[in-house]
Amino acid sequence: MSNTIEKTVLMDQETIPVKQIKQDFKMVTFSLGGKDYGIDIMKVKEIAKFSQFTYVPNTPPFVRGVYNLRGEIISIIDLRIFFHLPVEKRKDGVENGLILRLEDYIIGVIVDSIDKVVGIASEDIQPPHPIFGDINVKYISGVVEYNGTLYLILDVEKLFGKEQAVQKAHPLEALELSLAEKPSIGVTPKESVAVGQTEKDFIRETLKTFKSFHVTPVNEKWLDVRFEQWRAERGKQGRDLQIKSVDEADEFLRTFYSSYTDTLWPDEFAASFLELIKDFSGKVFSIWNPGCGKGYETYSVTALFLKQIPDAVLKVWAMDNDLLSISTAPNLVLPSENLPSYILPYTVKGKQGIGITSQLKDRIFFEYHDVLHVNVVPECDLILARDLVSFLSPADQAKILEEFYDKLKPNGILILGNNEEPIETTKWVRISNKNFSAYKKNIE
Amino acid sequence: MRVEYINPFVESAYNVLKEVLNCQVSRGELYLKSTSTPVLGVAALVGLAGDVEGRILFDMSKETAIKVASVMNGEELKELDDLAKATITELANMITAQAVTKLHDLGFKFDLTPPAIFTGDNMEVTTAEVEALIVPMVIPYGKVEINVAIRERL
Repeated sequence: MSNTIEKTVLMDQETIPVKQIKQDFKMVTFSLGGKDYGIDIMKVKEIAKFSQFTYVPNTPPFVRGVYNLRGEIISIIDLRIFFHLPVEKRKDGVENGLILRLEDYIIGVIVDSIDKVVGIASEDIQPPHPIFGDINVKYISGVVEYNGTLYLILDVEKLFGKEQAVQKAHPLEALELSLAEKPSIGVTPKESVAVGQTEKDFIRETLKTFKSFHVTPVNEKWLDVRFEQWRAERGKQGRDLQIKSVDEADEFLRTFYSSYTDTLWPDEFAASFLELIKDFSGKVFSIWNPGCGKGYETYSVTALFLKQIPDAVLKVWAMDNDLLSISTAPNLVLPSENLPSYILPYTVKGKQGIGITSQLKDRIFFEYHDVLHVNVVPECDLILARDLVSFLSPADQAKILEEFYDKLKPNGILILGNNEEPIETTKWVRISNKNFSAYKKNIE
Repeated sequence: MRVEYINPFVESAYNVLKEVLNCQVSRGELYLKSTSTPVLGVAALVGLAGDVEGRILFDMSKETAIKVASVMNGEELKELDDLAKATITELANMITAQAVTKLHDLGFKFDLTPPAIFTGDNMEVTTAEVEALIVPMVIPYGKVEINVAIRERL
């Protein structure tokens, strides 16, 4: 392929007839800030010299004004200001420009100087390289060489075209809106979707910094909902959207956390767990509970599992990388009141308060372990990992979800946090109920 | 690593070091490591077998090892000779034995291998499939890192 391109270029320079046969793309070339660009000639209505603009107040700086083109009013954009390139002031006040005919309206652009019309073969156009500096690469549709000069071909539809059908309003208004969405432009437009996106990106960053909470497809749905709530809450309080401290990050994440991760599950909550595991049958079971914290949920799950299947041979691997939390887990002291009914058969009164009997404890291995290291656990019937995955880096999230998939028995159940879901949704079947976000392997 | 194993090792390391060296001992922050661990220079290794499998590594620099051996023998040693090595081996044995005794009282049963000592520069140790708990102990003669890698038999 590269051979044919070279050949074409050579022929372009030497034998003119061949070139004329080949060319099927014509572009108007011009210079901007000392570099050469081209625009598809089909988009160019005419080449013009603009001399008298009517200045329009309250527009972004790159809008030079409106212009009367034989009775038709068009708006004029200075491409150099638009792309933050140096602008040469002309003494006579006459600017070189092009009138572009876009799908929906006509617009004028100002450039440094118009060069010529060039015919090329469209197969010679190469895709733009992502590191082009001056102009955002998404507005460049390709690069082409002609007579030893490289031309960047601008995609004017992307530059000025309407992005959404909603903006069927007045051309100028539509233009302003679509321009306002271009990230490189330092204007303060009216409240719009794009602005919310910037704020949201900022919140993603701060959550990562303060709480090592990584927004990915695992929790994106929650973030979208929470962001709107947050905007409303903060608006009411007259505070801005940004998260500036760990406390504010905690406040933002308040609705993220699953219920009862740090306490024994109350009876009605436990009932919906029993509902989830009602189809389990057999005798030997393994449960993996990474990120078990102080072990409350581990004890709840273990006791409930034994309630459901009393003669089960059950082993539970519960791990956390917080040494302080996990150290208290084996000798957890329970509150003396309001204990859920399912835990009562396994409680014993000790010197320090109500403890858990070895009958239950002996089935659980509490380990000080980092889940990102090698996990030595057998194939599991149940993996309980609520509010764990979101706090890992995106790469680790994918890795650990993959590992959950590998370690789960064919009919096993994965329980994630209430506001979490697996990334590769096709590999999982959602079996959630109102209290649990649970998944089974999708086995075709 | 099971939480129950951590304290016996930390406690016995603290007690034994304090007792035999008769000096100030402080414990650094515990952490987990799964990649290969560089060895400081002198490493005494004790293997475990039984309900669990794994090993414990006592790791220190050569200078620290010589100073510790000097104090334990009550005489100034100039280099890491046979006597010094035997002394470090004994230290490892004492700490492990005391930890295992505590664990035995808690109902965990396993056997030890006799300690082996490794010396050299630029060594690393890797235990595939087990992460290691690092217990750094700081004494006036330097740092002793106790590297515990134990796992349940599945």
